[in-house]
Amino acid sequence: MNVRQALRNGFIIGTISIFIILLGLTVLVGGIVRGWFDLSSNALGAWVLLGLLALLGGVNARRNTHAASWKEAAVAGLAAGVAQGAMVGIFVGIVATLIDSGTEVRQWLVQLTPEAIDLLRFGAAPVAAALIVFAIFTLAGLLGALPSYASAHYQWGAAFRSWFWGMRDQGLDLPPVAAFREYKYAPYIVYGLGLVLLLIAPQLLGRYWNYTLGTVGIYVILGLGLNIVVGLAGLLDLGYVAFFAIGAYTVAMLTAPAPHNIGMSFWLVLPIGVVLASITGVLLGIPVLRMRGDYLAIVTLGFGEIIRILSKSDVLTSFTGGPRGIRAVAGPSLFGMDLSSSQHFMYFIILGIILVAYLTYRLQNSRVGRAWMAMREDEDVAEAMGIYTLKYKLLAFAIGAAFAGFGGVLFASRNKFTGPEDFTLLVSINVLCLVIIGGMGSIPGVVIGALVLKGLPEMLRELDDYRILVFGALLVMMMILRPEGLLPSKRRRMELHEEEPTEVVAAGGAA
Amino acid sequence: MEAEASRPKQSFNVGRWIRPLIGVVVLAFILWRFWNVLFVQQVYGPDTWMRFAISGIILGGVYAVIALGYTLVYGILFMINFAHGDVMMLGAFAGFFTLEALRGTGLLNQSIFWSILSVIIAFLVGMVAATVIAVVLERVAYRPLRGAPRLVPLISAIGASLFLENAAQLVFGAQRQTYSNPTIIERNVGWTFHIGEGDVLLTYTGVLTFVLSVLLMIGLALLVQRTKMGKAMRAVAEDKQTAALMGIDVDQVISTTFAISGALAGAAGVMWGLHMGIIYHFVGFLPGLKAFTAAVLGGIGNIPGAMMGGLTLGIFEALGPAVLGMPFQLKDVLAFSILVLVLIFRPTGLLGEVLSEKKA
Repeated sequence: MNVRQALRNGFIIGTISIFIILLGLTVLVGGIVRGWFDLSSNALGAWVLLGLLALLGGVNARRNTHAASWKEAAVAGLAAGVAQGAMVGIFVGIVATLIDSGTEVRQWLVQLTPEAIDLLRFGAAPVAAALIVFAIFTLAGLLGALPSYASAHYQWGAAFRSWFWGMRDQGLDLPPVAAFREYKYAPYIVYGLGLVLLLIAPQLLGRYWNYTLGTVGIYVILGLGLNIVVGLAGLLDLGYVAFFAIGAYTVAMLTAPAPHNIGMSFWLVLPIGVVLASITGVLLGIPVLRMRGDYLAIVTLGFGEIIRILSKSDVLTSFTGGPRGIRAVAGPSLFGMDLSSSQHFMYFIILGIILVAYLTYRLQNSRVGRAWMAMREDEDVAEAMGIYTLKYKLLAFAIGAAFAGFGGVLFASRNKFTGPEDFTLLVSINVLCLVIIGGMGSIPGVVIGALVLKGLPEMLRELDDYRILVFGALLVMMMILRPEGLLPSKRRRMELHEEEPTEVVAAGGAA
Repeated sequence: MEAEASRPKQSFNVGRWIRPLIGVVVLAFILWRFWNVLFVQQVYGPDTWMRFAISGIILGGVYAVIALGYTLVYGILFMINFAHGDVMMLGAFAGFFTLEALRGTGLLNQSIFWSILSVIIAFLVGMVAATVIAVVLERVAYRPLRGAPRLVPLISAIGASLFLENAAQLVFGAQRQTYSNPTIIERNVGWTFHIGEGDVLLTYTGVLTFVLSVLLMIGLALLVQRTKMGKAMRAVAEDKQTAALMGIDVDQVISTTFAISGALAGAAGVMWGLHMGIIYHFVGFLPGLKAFTAAVLGGIGNIPGAMMGGLTLGIFEALGPAVLGMPFQLKDVLAFSILVLVLIFRPTGLLGEVLSEKKA
């Protein structure tokens, strides 16, 4: 019986709990729960969150100590509970004492408002509050360990899994579903329905949703571009936003009245922006693409920052408008009709996505695509096989940059504005996240990634502050647990799971 | 397509002409601007040049200390610890809280002894906090990925960096905090020299920062060259498998390396706070990036190289805009351009990539 292991689990959970209180998540979850159930206080939600964590502490302790009997499970849970309870209890006690003595704690730790601590105190004096918290965490640790042992002992998990997959198979075997799956044109019907839905959707949605989903769509285009660079060719580009900015500034400079009043038509500028971004991609690529992967990441990051700083600086104010940016960027018009509302743009963006996705699909399964993937897997071997890697790297950079330029043109022209704050490092990071989380080298993965990473935060507005934090944690977790992404391409999955030959054979057999 | 693929080198060798071309253009530009600024316009007097040089050397010392952390980790794991700048930021915050607490209790300026002691305590707390964070970071985000393809740990490091930055923003708030220095080393106070037509100020914090960074560099050099741990680190850097066969606990050594790099970052963070005065959640990003540039400039994986690279970059950054007659807004652009140029012309850095060369 390894009590030290259990104590360690308790300390980890205790640290996480304190961290969560410091982040203000208790107040946030409390507020959400209060909204749902019309409660008078935030305390319930906060304690549900902390209680679940404390239960988890008990579960982990039981699992990691391999407790083999009811008694051992109870000891493990109790040990973890005491450890986490002591940590959180002392923390709450100290903060409560400080607040009661009139110290303005939130001047350093902004989330520790008196209200946030009141949620955890039950109106008690500091020492009593610490003891109450300690008791709750200890009890929860114990409560977590026992059912966890029962579940392991009686194999509840396996029973649930077999029931769940059994239900799924039964559902798929129902006569109409099975008949449809057999039907020759079934995929076309699904695609057709999807297309019709896409064409109707902008009409049904209001301005706000058209705008928001338009942004998601532009990120899909960017993601598909970066997918070629990172996902197919395996070149980590952290300055992708630079090409986006070049597209946006091109359309802004050539159509807006402000700096030079050139006033070209949108349709003329669109290809110019795309080509310009692509040329910049090649020009940047020639010197830097000889470097190894991780250097490349930093150099491209530097390049992205250079473009942003330049667009903001006084040197180029006469072209870029400096920090104020460029206003009144022209939208497209066709036969005298103005097509620059968010709704019209939604159609352009959908068309753009379809075009870009089709191009990617064709490229991926061509000679070029195979060369990229060979390079990604092993550059030296690819070179030995007669692939001139620099050429294919440049091609990937140029095409990726062209897609980004396309996205930039659409973005600036839809917003009717462009400025340096649209092109921070965060855009590159966002796009990288959606490619990686969706699944590198996979087109549906990018779409899902964009919907999840750009669309979900729009729906959960109150979580917006925590978005990037979650992205960061997700990136680390994805790399550890599922480096191939949510919807991986088959090939990528095989590359990353070489050590599991049976699964590869199974996947290959199914395909 | 077919023909190009079979005889690529003759038809499309960009490398042969592009490097000399870029080199000539850059050199010509630098010489022209240099001539212009120094002899034609004569914008700055000797006192101004001196001021630039002093700030450059101090900045360079801080960069060098941060760069050592990058180099140590790279030397052993061949991985860019993208979150290193954020470890520095957290060290700076730990030092900040220590000084605030000491100020709150009134000890900070009670006597000279207490002032010195508080600065020492702030450094120790900052270094310990950063060490703990660096070790936890390695344990959580990097260790499970050992042996994975190269991009995988780098992406994980980017994720960790985002996480730390935003956690700091949420916990400490987005506002900028001002370091409370003890009165004996108040910022912008120091010795004054009369040079040319103006006075040049050499601040106490600047001297402290520089001396301390030199001491840290010497300490690290001794640690790596003279101690048993240093020997183990060098062995692991050269060949992990063989080192393990010789009875070295590789995981332990890597953990220690992260601990040392974290301690250096923490010290750099407190120095940054004491000298620059203002810290916020994003304060580690640019110094981190530039320290990486410095590490590459000196030859990544090479400890003397990181020191030299840091000082060189600091001086470049302070003098560069003046020498080239560029607006000072663009000094970051200059630093990144140096990175790109170094990687084009001498990717192994000024002193060469010692550790990885031995490996080859």
